[in-house]
Amino acid sequence: MIAARRAGRSALIAGALASSLLLAACGSTADTAGGTEGAGGVITDKGVTDTTITLGIMGDTSGVFKNLGAGLNAGNQLWADDVNAAGGICGRQVEIEVVDHGYKADVAKTLYPQLEPNVLGMVQLLGSPVLAALEPNLIEDDMLAAPASWSSEVLDNPGIMMIGTTYDLEVVNGLAYLQQQGLIADGDTIGHIYIDGEYGGNGLKGSQYYAEQHGITINEAKVTSTDNDLTGIVTGMRGAGVKAIVLTTTPGQTASALAANQALGLNVPVLGNNPTFDPALLETPAASALGNLYVSASNAPFSSPNPKAVEVTTEFKTAYPDAPRNAGITTGYTEGLVWQNVLEAACEAGDLSRAGVKTALTTLTSVDTEGLVDVLDYSSPGSPPTRGVYIAQVDGSVEGGLREVAPLFTAPEAETYVAPFQES
Amino acid sequence: MSETFTPPAAPPKAPATTTKHPPNWLKIVATAVLLVVLLLLPVIVGNGGVAYLKLAQYILIGAVGGIGLTLLVGQAGQLSLAHPFFLLVGAVGYAVLAGDPEESDDLVGLGLPPLVAVIGAIVLCGLVGLAFAPVAGRLRGIYLGVASLSLVFLGLWLGQSLDMFSGGTSSGRNAPVFALFGFEFANSTPAPTIAGVAIQKQQRLWYLFLAFALISYFLARGAVNSRIGRSWRAVRDNEAAATSMGVHVTRVKAGAFVISSAFAGLAGVMTALWLDLVKPDENEFTGTYSLTVAIAFLAVVIIGGLGSVPGAVIGAALVFGLQQFFLLGSQQFGWFADAAFGGFSAVVVSAFVYGAAIVLVILFEPGGMAAIGRRLLARRRSPDVPSTDDGGRTTPREDRS
Repeated sequence: MIAARRAGRSALIAGALASSLLLAACGSTADTAGGTEGAGGVITDKGVTDTTITLGIMGDTSGVFKNLGAGLNAGNQLWADDVNAAGGICGRQVEIEVVDHGYKADVAKTLYPQLEPNVLGMVQLLGSPVLAALEPNLIEDDMLAAPASWSSEVLDNPGIMMIGTTYDLEVVNGLAYLQQQGLIADGDTIGHIYIDGEYGGNGLKGSQYYAEQHGITINEAKVTSTDNDLTGIVTGMRGAGVKAIVLTTTPGQTASALAANQALGLNVPVLGNNPTFDPALLETPAASALGNLYVSASNAPFSSPNPKAVEVTTEFKTAYPDAPRNAGITTGYTEGLVWQNVLEAACEAGDLSRAGVKTALTTLTSVDTEGLVDVLDYSSPGSPPTRGVYIAQVDGSVEGGLREVAPLFTAPEAETYVAPFQES
Repeated sequence: MSETFTPPAAPPKAPATTTKHPPNWLKIVATAVLLVVLLLLPVIVGNGGVAYLKLAQYILIGAVGGIGLTLLVGQAGQLSLAHPFFLLVGAVGYAVLAGDPEESDDLVGLGLPPLVAVIGAIVLCGLVGLAFAPVAGRLRGIYLGVASLSLVFLGLWLGQSLDMFSGGTSSGRNAPVFALFGFEFANSTPAPTIAGVAIQKQQRLWYLFLAFALISYFLARGAVNSRIGRSWRAVRDNEAAATSMGVHVTRVKAGAFVISSAFAGLAGVMTALWLDLVKPDENEFTGTYSLTVAIAFLAVVIIGGLGSVPGAVIGAALVFGLQQFFLLGSQQFGWFADAAFGGFSAVVVSAFVYGAAIVLVILFEPGGMAAIGRRLLARRRSPDVPSTDDGGRTTPREDRS
């Protein structure tokens, strides 16, 4: 009986396989690739109709970066609203389609094929693990994406449109600022606490380069992104006599490091990369210790006196009165502005297809975002489009928690630094 | 001496249900329909629904890994939380064996044919599992669970340190494209079509994964119904009794661990192909090879019913599929549209559903989905005979459903 049932089952499987093979043999067609001509004599393929240009966001509004992610999404949307109010781009309105991957690469991998056919490119792609997993797709689909992840290690992909400078250069500039202020000197020992991975590894490259130039010794400490008590590491650094600490960490780790810095009586200046600070930290017990933190970022802080930044933040406060206020808003708006430049250049060249947009990017040598970030140059692939940063210090009395202490500048050491995929 | 081994007594069943019952046409037809649906899935979802195909592939990864774990936890009675480690070994093993030696100076690649690399990765995982056998053979229950947990941390450390194999946590390395006799599982022009649907990379990967999953399924069913399965259950139920029946307990336990590791290795290879990337995690709690994944696989076998092979497949569909299904739905149909700044989002809802499923299963149906399925089948077969209840045992003695 069992044997008979087994035989029946095998026959079924064989039959099903055979039928699928038969179907497979049914035919073969060539994919009809290539753009078609749309309104205004502009070539288009995906994500662009005669009336709209659709861009995608793969963001995080439920995972570990949900505060930053929500700010970025809001910034992107504010930009789109402004553009549409001013008549759109190339005679078309800008629409944004948002998906939330919760900072999980596997979720992003499933969501991507649903989003991809609808969009011309990604106005924001958040998270380095997500970016790493989607890189083959971006290349395959000829897609241009602005990552919310600033590692110079991803610049080998011509489809990556870096908005601002990279982590390594943030650290180089930040250390130069500390030295200009007399907070560190040649021959000092400094500590660097970093998360192993793309983010931390890239930040560490910056301090290693700066240390080489100035005979500085680095006391390195590698952590994982879930180590939340850095007291032991800071104690060790006090023993090593560090004059400053560099952080390429999560906001929670930043709070721990600064609390230890104060509690141990070390009280050295602490330099952090752009994502190390979140205004929510000001409501934690570590708030009183945060004043030692300098944040180096290519974006103007939320409270920046820069007129364009003021315009954006005022708009944000009207549109989202109860939402958390962080650097994501201006960053998101800046991503939009750069996209605007690319789309306008592509429109002028008469090609709003994906390939056309990528080509248009390389023609941009001086994208002006009115000081939201430094002037951007996309003409040499592999090289960060700018090297300038703002330095801000934590101050609980200002909105967004960061007060600008140095205007946009590029240190000489940052000019000579060679990024991993930089040619020449 | 396993020659003298006699199987434990079968659970008491009504003679009518064990000795002769007519060919179960409903089951045969249902199986056939299911197979046809699975084979035609790329056509059903069409080229526009590739996201759902991607989701289905992901469920198959969970199913292959879950089948491996259910054999170990349910059949052989050994708790293991080391599944993500073997996933990582499988993924890295495949990338190293099939990797192009010319790709990069910093990466080791042997350039073997992909099929050989897949088999090599599975064998490698089995061998690594064998290396853990001295531990697996001597510990049981929660002790083995905790000991096996150490492998996840070992994997994290090795993945970070041995970046000539793993590509490092920073950007990892590309997963070599799978190819069979020159046929690449990648996009091509022109693409073959089935009923007007272009069979591109994702459709090809679906058939590959389906083949892997079916092979795993039938191998596991074969093992469960054979002497190997009986020795596993004997060891699980009573080691002293098993020894007295001539079962070499340590060897059987180690063997179960090796087989389960090999299944996880195949799931690891599938993960690498699915993500197009091999990249060790940045921390131990979240990521592709993290503690979260260890818990997810445990949830798969608990929801499915410990020891049941079909149950593991259903558990994988729930645990691996649900969240992504909600996310796809929320995108397509606008569910949870107003969740921009926190609140009920697809991720939160699916976490609730998945947590509730585990609690409800443990409280009300310790035998899991498999027990529900068995009870339904038994009721249909003999409506006048009360269902053959498991008598309160949390694991079925024999899995025949």
